[in-house]
Amino acid sequence: MLAFRSSDTSARSTGLLLRCILFALLALGLMIVDKRYQDLGKIRRALSIVAYPAQVAVASPFEGWAWLRESLTTREALRADKSRLEEQLRVAQFRLQRFEALEAESRRLRALRDNTAGVSARFLVGNVMDVDLDAFRERVLVDKGAHDGVYVGQAVLDAGGVFGQVARVGEMTSEVILISDAAHAIPVQDNRNGLRTIAVGTGDVSHIKLPYISTAADIVKGDLLVTSGLGGGFPAGYPVGTVVEIKRDPAQSLADVEVSPAAALDRAQELLFVWPAGGATPAATLTPATAKPATTPPPRAAAPAKPADAAKTAEAAKTGEAAKK
Amino acid sequence: MMRAERIRRLPMALSALVALTLAIVPLPEVIDAFRPDFLVLVVFFWSIESPRAGGLTLAFVSGLALDIIKGAVLGQHALALTLMAAWATHLRLRLRVFSVLSQSLTIFALLTGYQFILFWIDGATGNPVTSFSRWLAPVIGALIWPVMVGTLSRLRER
Repeated sequence: MLAFRSSDTSARSTGLLLRCILFALLALGLMIVDKRYQDLGKIRRALSIVAYPAQVAVASPFEGWAWLRESLTTREALRADKSRLEEQLRVAQFRLQRFEALEAESRRLRALRDNTAGVSARFLVGNVMDVDLDAFRERVLVDKGAHDGVYVGQAVLDAGGVFGQVARVGEMTSEVILISDAAHAIPVQDNRNGLRTIAVGTGDVSHIKLPYISTAADIVKGDLLVTSGLGGGFPAGYPVGTVVEIKRDPAQSLADVEVSPAAALDRAQELLFVWPAGGATPAATLTPATAKPATTPPPRAAAPAKPADAAKTAEAAKTGEAAKK
Repeated sequence: MMRAERIRRLPMALSALVALTLAIVPLPEVIDAFRPDFLVLVVFFWSIESPRAGGLTLAFVSGLALDIIKGAVLGQHALALTLMAAWATHLRLRLRVFSVLSQSLTIFALLTGYQFILFWIDGATGNPVTSFSRWLAPVIGALIWPVMVGTLSRLRER
């Protein structure tokens, strides 16, 4: 196997120990500085530029292959695609007509209530880069960064619904944490009755869960969950997922609710970065669970739910229910 | 002697770059958890093979690169890799006369130590990974170690 080489003296091994301690201390110092202070953000951004060519180099063959396949599609396939897209556009435009009327109505009603939180204004499209970050965390790398105005905590959508939020920003790239990551939580609302709760990731892209729903809560299979806008991290009213399974164990106080995400978490290629309407600078928070409510809660809420607190959320859900009755 | 070692730095840097690329090449979800830590194996190889050419520096720099690419706490991989590379350097004389099986077993121990430090820092920074599949990487790494040594030794000979 390995050839036997020159033997070393003990002087060398003390040198090794010294260097090892030096490097270890350096690494420890870096970790403490990185964790304690945000100053390292700039250094990280600069370092991410160094990593950028490697990431592009890895992603480009896959992009090249996709481009090649796209340019070699037949005329029939393109025509079929075109008619399908035209059909979709017709349906979308039809819906949009209604949407515009509804938006105007909503704005009038909100003006009555002196609430300025509206539907988001500015979007930016980013592409998912074909780079694996970490096998054990649900994160993707997107080709838009601080250069394009992306900020930490920004909401990210895809065509189907809420995809995740920006966890880290580089100069040219940003890291998006999916709503299915085990460390992610998002404030949601049942679209049918306004029941508010928190959806938490499971570490599995195919489903997220609602851990803070009481067994008595009014929630049924097929309910659509939308963002509630509480916490200020995500704009209100975007679809998060549909309830696929509810397990109610009479012995437990909380039900087991499984939700299928509305966004194509494992397939999405184009993502939308959303800026909140009004251009207010949002708080840079990683998880909405730690964010303070920035918007005024709906009048129905007797006590504003503090997302991280399970008991309080369940309580608020009950008050929501009581108010409904 | 000095010149010979200076020349050896090129294959060192080259193999580290290739390993870094292998670490981020997209793989299907199913086999992603089975991806061995290529860069760690490369660092171990050079720590054992030519510690004088700066195996520890390579370990620290590679660790930092992993931190940036994986978006971990800056210094996490650097610390784990430095400590384990130092241990590998310490064991190198014994490792060189070991049989393939004992070498792989030692590498398994080193890789497990590496994963444990990562695991520990993950927990300490409040970002734990509870998935059991993280402990698969050392097994796979130990299994491909002989192949790795074969390839890299050939690179060194040239």
